[in-house]
Formats: sequence, structure tokens, C-alpha cells
Amino acid sequence: MRLAALRARSNCGTINRIKSAPAATAQGEFVYIALLIVHGLFAVALLGALTHQTASTWLPARKQAGSFSGRFRAVSAAGYTNAIVWLYVGTFVLGAIIYPEFRISIRGVLEELETPAAMGSFELKEHFAVIGLAVLPAYWYFWRLPLADEHARARKALTAMLAFITWWNFLVGHVVNNFRGFGA
Amino acid sequence: MNRPRTAVFLAIVFTVVYALAYVIAVWKNYALFTYHPATGALGLGVEKPQDGPAMYWFGWMATAGIAAIGACLIAWLVPERYAQRLGSGWSWIVPLGVLIFFAYLLRGYFLR
Repeated sequence: MRLAALRARSNCGTINRIKSAPAATAQGEFVYIALLIVHGLFAVALLGALTHQTASTWLPARKQAGSFSGRFRAVSAAGYTNAIVWLYVGTFVLGAIIYPEFRISIRGVLEELETPAAMGSFELKEHFAVIGLAVLPAYWYFWRLPLADEHARARKALTAMLAFITWWNFLVGHVVNNFRGFGA
Repeated sequence: MNRPRTAVFLAIVFTVVYALAYVIAVWKNYALFTYHPATGALGLGVEKPQDGPAMYWFGWMATAGIAAIGACLIAWLVPERYAQRLGSGWSWIVPLGVLIFFAYLLRGYFLR
């Protein structure tokens, strides 16, 4: 698919300075910023849980953990599953709520600055997030206790995939938001 | 613990069909509805922008959701002996392929 077609689909060919209805007022702006902060906090908690689970799944501690990295890997991975599912869903829902405001007020700035890599990274973020949501049922099932050996590979792969998606989305969201400036 | 085979089968079917339906919905722009964030209006199907950008993302997710739920309803009817043949590997191989395809689809943003 050509880039022009994708951009037309995103309708960002022209700089749009229209403020969205929800954030047009000072109160709306405050709500948007508050939701953005909570979205970020959820993402940080999700990152921590997923990184712990991925490390302990792919690099399990073989002996009594003494070092920081050893203790990091020695956690009980299955215990994070429900928290990860709820945090992912919560982060996703909050992101979906604030996404329209991004489309209106930040996307235009990215266009103006001519930063196609930033726009492309954010496009990937939105699609990766949906795929992460799609794998959650299988992920949750394969992590149910007692863990089934026959699903060990799928468990490891899905955990790594979710960790990759979460790290990508966190970093891209953070960097892209900085293009406009927090609360600007 | 004895678990129902159907549950894992449905989980895999949902994941696989949702991922495939979503990437097709994005690729071909099969959005169930369009959201116009500037006005807060919703329109059925794919609509052109009105007073600002048009968002299809929610519509693509809805399209994929309907496809995945429909597939699960059909999968529910699949006999146990056939359901057992679906390996758990599909639950990550297909989504991984979709992630890679999205990177390919959007390569134009990075190769300029």
C-alpha cells in the first residue's frame, strides 16, 4: 500500500488545528491530561509486570537468587497473569479514550514537523495494541494453573510478544507525546 | 486438572481470526463505522472526513470483533476430535505474522 493512500486514510494530509469537542475547554484539557497520566501509569505497571514475567519465563533463575538480576528472574511468573490482563485492558481503554484528541491536536503537529517515522511508529503502535488485545484470551488460558507442559512454547512466545508490544507502545507513545510537549 | 478442550480451541480461534480479520480490515479499509472526533459524530461504514479527520480504527476493531465472535460461534459446533488437532502454536504464529505484515504495510513511513 502506498504511503499516500495510508495518509489519506488517516486524513492528515492537511494540518488540522480544530480542537476536539471534549478538550476544547480548560476542563476538557485537564481531563485529557489526567487520563494521559493515568494511561502512562498503567503502562508503567504493565511494563514492570510483563518484563518480570518474560525474564522469569525465558531466563528462569536456576539456583537461589542472590543478585538483583537473579531475584528479578526468580519471581513466580504465573502470579502476574491476571494483573497483566487487567492492566493491558485498562491501558488500552484509556488509550482509546484519549486517542481522538491525539488525532486532532498532535497528529497535525507531526505533519507540520514532517516526521514520517514518528507518524509511522504511532500507526504501528495502534495496530500492535489491537493485536496484543487479540492474543490476551489465549495468553490468559495458557497461563492458567496448573501450567500445561504442552503449551509451554505458546506461553513463552505470547509473553514475549506482549512484552515487545508493550515496550514499543510505551516508548513510541512517550516520544511522540514529547513532540508536542506535555499539556502544550 | 481436566480442562475442557473447547476453551483452548475457542481461545486460539478467537486470537487467530481476530488478528487476521483486523489486518484485512485495515488493509482493505473495512471499517464497520467511522468516528469523526472533531464533531463527535459516528457514521455507519466508511465515511469521508467531516470538519476534521475521520477515524476508522474503532471501526476496524469492531469489524474484526464481529468476525472473531462469528468464528467462535462456528468453532463451538466443531466436534471435539477435530478441535484437538488445532495446535497452540497458531495462537502466536499468526499474530506474529500480522505484526510483521503491519511493519511491511507501513514501511513507507520509514523508507523516505
